Amino acid sequence: MSERELIEFVTAQRWFASKLRDVTHASVVDRAMLRDADPSLELQLVEIRFDTGTHETYQLLTNGGLDALSDPRQVRELVHMIRSGVKLPADEGIVEFGPVEGIAAVGQELREARAIDTEQSNTSIVFDEELILKVFRRLEPGINPELELLRFLTERGFENIAQLAGWYAYSGRPMDTTLGILQRFIPGGEDGWEFALDAMHSDTERFMGTLRRLGEVTGRMHSVLGSEPDDPNFAPEAPSSESLGLLTATIDDEIESVFLELPDGNDDVAPIRGRGEEVRERLRLWTQVGDIGRVIRHHGDFHLGQTLWCDDDWVILDFEGEPARALPERRRKRSPLRDVAGMLRSFAYAATASGILRGSEPPDGWEARARHEFLEGYRETVDHVLVPSGSAMDKLLAVFELEKSVYELRYELNNRPDWVKIPVAGIVRMLDEEVVF
Amino acid sequence: MSEPGHWFEREPLWFKTAVFYEIHLRGFYDGNDDGSGDFRGLTDKLDYLQEIGIDCLWLLPSYPSPLRDGGYDIADFFAIHPDYGTIDDFKFFIDQAHQRGLRVISDLVMNHTSSDHPWFQASRAEPDGPYGDWYVWGDDDQRWSEARIIFIDTEPSNWTWDPVRGQYYWHRFFSHQPDLNYDNPEVQEQMLNVLRFWLDLGLDGFRLDAVPYLFERDGTNGENLPETHAFLKRVRAEVDARYQDRVLLAEANQWPGDVVQYFGDGDECHMAFHFPVMPRMFMGVRREDALPIIEILEQTPPIPDSAQWGLFLRNHDELTLEMVTDEERDYLYEEYAKDPRMKLNLGIRRRLAPLLDNGRAEIELMHAMLFSLPGSPVLYYGDEIGMGDNVFLGDRDGVRTPMQWTGDRNGGFSRADFAQLYLPPLMDPVYGYQAVNVEAQLRQPNSLLRWLRRLIALRKQHPVFGLGTYEALRPDNPRIFAHVRTYEDDIVLCVHNLARSAQAVELDLSRYEGLIPVEMFGQTPFPRIGELTYLLTLGPRGFFWFQLKKEGSV
Repeated sequence: MSERELIEFVTAQRWFASKLRDVTHASVVDRAMLRDADPSLELQLVEIRFDTGTHETYQLLTNGGLDALSDPRQVRELVHMIRSGVKLPADEGIVEFGPVEGIAAVGQELREARAIDTEQSNTSIVFDEELILKVFRRLEPGINPELELLRFLTERGFENIAQLAGWYAYSGRPMDTTLGILQRFIPGGEDGWEFALDAMHSDTERFMGTLRRLGEVTGRMHSVLGSEPDDPNFAPEAPSSESLGLLTATIDDEIESVFLELPDGNDDVAPIRGRGEEVRERLRLWTQVGDIGRVIRHHGDFHLGQTLWCDDDWVILDFEGEPARALPERRRKRSPLRDVAGMLRSFAYAATASGILRGSEPPDGWEARARHEFLEGYRETVDHVLVPSGSAMDKLLAVFELEKSVYELRYELNNRPDWVKIPVAGIVRMLDEEVVF
Repeated sequence: MSEPGHWFEREPLWFKTAVFYEIHLRGFYDGNDDGSGDFRGLTDKLDYLQEIGIDCLWLLPSYPSPLRDGGYDIADFFAIHPDYGTIDDFKFFIDQAHQRGLRVISDLVMNHTSSDHPWFQASRAEPDGPYGDWYVWGDDDQRWSEARIIFIDTEPSNWTWDPVRGQYYWHRFFSHQPDLNYDNPEVQEQMLNVLRFWLDLGLDGFRLDAVPYLFERDGTNGENLPETHAFLKRVRAEVDARYQDRVLLAEANQWPGDVVQYFGDGDECHMAFHFPVMPRMFMGVRREDALPIIEILEQTPPIPDSAQWGLFLRNHDELTLEMVTDEERDYLYEEYAKDPRMKLNLGIRRRLAPLLDNGRAEIELMHAMLFSLPGSPVLYYGDEIGMGDNVFLGDRDGVRTPMQWTGDRNGGFSRADFAQLYLPPLMDPVYGYQAVNVEAQLRQPNSLLRWLRRLIALRKQHPVFGLGTYEALRPDNPRIFAHVRTYEDDIVLCVHNLARSAQAVELDLSRYEGLIPVEMFGQTPFPRIGELTYLLTLGPRGFFWFQLKKEGSV
């Protein structure tokens, strides 16, 4: 591919993260031939440079210059290599494949392969409804938190995940980075987000009846993630004197910058335009909180779309963290309530989305009930040392809900303009709420 | 070979776009309640440093030392001072820093050791022993009289009589800091071992203290000698051969023409501090005149593409006035050191905020200029919140008081009893920890800390500040310091008003005709650049940074 073609190809992909920026250059910074025989498979690390001189790096898998992932069957080779644990040379480094004993061998033959079409920032391929391979697209130096967390939870027997089956990684001149992970695929599961919307009217009680369990699973996940005091990467920590200040500052700056960048002439953002200061005032009120519990590794991007309802239980997926945040930030320990707030925001999202996507408003009190059920289950199971109690918990949850909705707003503005009205509605609602202490 | 690169993109020139932060470990955070900062404490504060946008920490010396010169008197090059922790604490700290995308360099004093160092003790006791020739001994104190005395307030001579050996020993700094003898190949080899030891532990490089003075030669002032450069080139070759993405930062308090020699042809030090620019920024702001700044940058020779200046406003030493004329020095003393206690050697021992009368506009303006100049900015701990100093403490301790984290006891620096603290924290009504602390400033959207954090973030979005060309504009209004930085497709125009009053300026931007200046903090487009001069008005001590963009891309 010429540089121009490479730019055109990468920038046109859904997983390309920086659609609003001006790309000036693209180059392959390393490549590895993973399979020589036809159909060939080549790994490329592509550096995309922007007009200001900064850059991002992406993973491409090609077959004679074409995108190999457009035909998912070609990617079987990656699973074979993970199973055999090979190491292959790249021009400037090595590609290493690693199996997890006992799980990688699932579904020996690999007959059927299909791509998951809802992926935003990566590419996922399902083999025989038994294994799923996630190819990370945007690459950053360091271990991907998804590999780290899945391995940790798998080793500790946490059952409500899709077990880790293997991974592949690159280390070489440009960086050391996780390229992809292989997990057990959970067939027949019902995506939590779709479940919520489908059941909104027809089957409200069935969905509501599962949310206490979702809270329990979440609480247990946090308890397990905060259970290893001797592993520095996971040991729960008492927050430092400035951690709440840092949190406030970070969210406050995000509010300021997203309000600064609200596009003119977009009617969907009209309800919040000019109200940035009000939002910041709310933040200042909510961050007047003493105890914040412990900071731990957590899911990082927790919402209904990251859950599956399957065999009468919940499975938690996708431990990558929010794709727009840098890797060190996604690996940072923070209050587990950040995940809880993510799920609460997701209920609000579903309630609003029901009107936007399905043309029907949610039943009265739907969201309040969902929150109540979920929080009940969570409070019962989570290790109480990890979270503050009473009104401190409510306030901290409100802070994280605000953080999440500001993140959503930026994400939707950049990726799904039709959805902008959802976080806008969420922010308006928070502003209209009474502040109760 | 230990590789810190695991958490970084491999980038040999990372230091060119980095923001550095200088830490006095003893004063940063006390992790074991003994009244003195340590590696465990610093590790606890890494999230803070990462969140304000720091890329690289520079640690003052943390080796075993009798601490008669703040640790620059090293008594063992292969260990950590027990007050600061252990080698394991250090390794854990480095790993935790790297995981957060933070690199770490450490001070290394190659020129001399503490007189307590076993090498010196052996050298004085056994002139014919294995260490007899490791230091610079002489039978009289007259040789090399051309070499100036640096610590003029305390040292009468560069020679001191040693009654044990019955000879004089040579020292360019304090008499308790004998100079190592670099004419001895064993000394050179051992110093390379020191470098390897710390690089193997994952350290990302060194700030090489006092490098101009390694060798002595008759008929010279003993500074910047060819032999010194040859040894530094050997150090660089050793580092390049065995390690990736490390940096050597030279401290050579010399004129730019001499300092650039320390870059070699890109085969000596990666970075060197630009000392003379800093006093001229203070002078420029006081005199409301951009000329001193423009001139010193004009006198600064070009440097290799792979090299970088380290720029700073203040550091752990006195604000050094060695690199100014006598007249300029008198002026700066007059303006910035009204109390004679504030003077030290040829400099002023004060922090940034008190030097600028705690003027917020002045502090912002100085940072804006610092961040806009060609080089990598080096911040000094505590200056990001506008900490003050204590002129009643001896030597340079007045600018090394405990970091002020909260308004609580001991400023949140330590849980030890007040009496146990290595130095008292500031408690005065203006700069004391109850008025000035990290926690409060994080919560105040308009605080200095929050502003600086935004400035750092903005700088990091634009590699032009670290990598771009520099071109001064010379507008008719002498109170305006304006220049253009260019890198790839990024063109940035920086305009600073040094005056206490509002100013108008007409800039000749004809070369950029048709482009739109977009103010970088607020993303506000300004009128298109036309054929005529571009008129700007700036508030007192105000500044603008603009990205010059093509019409269609705004």
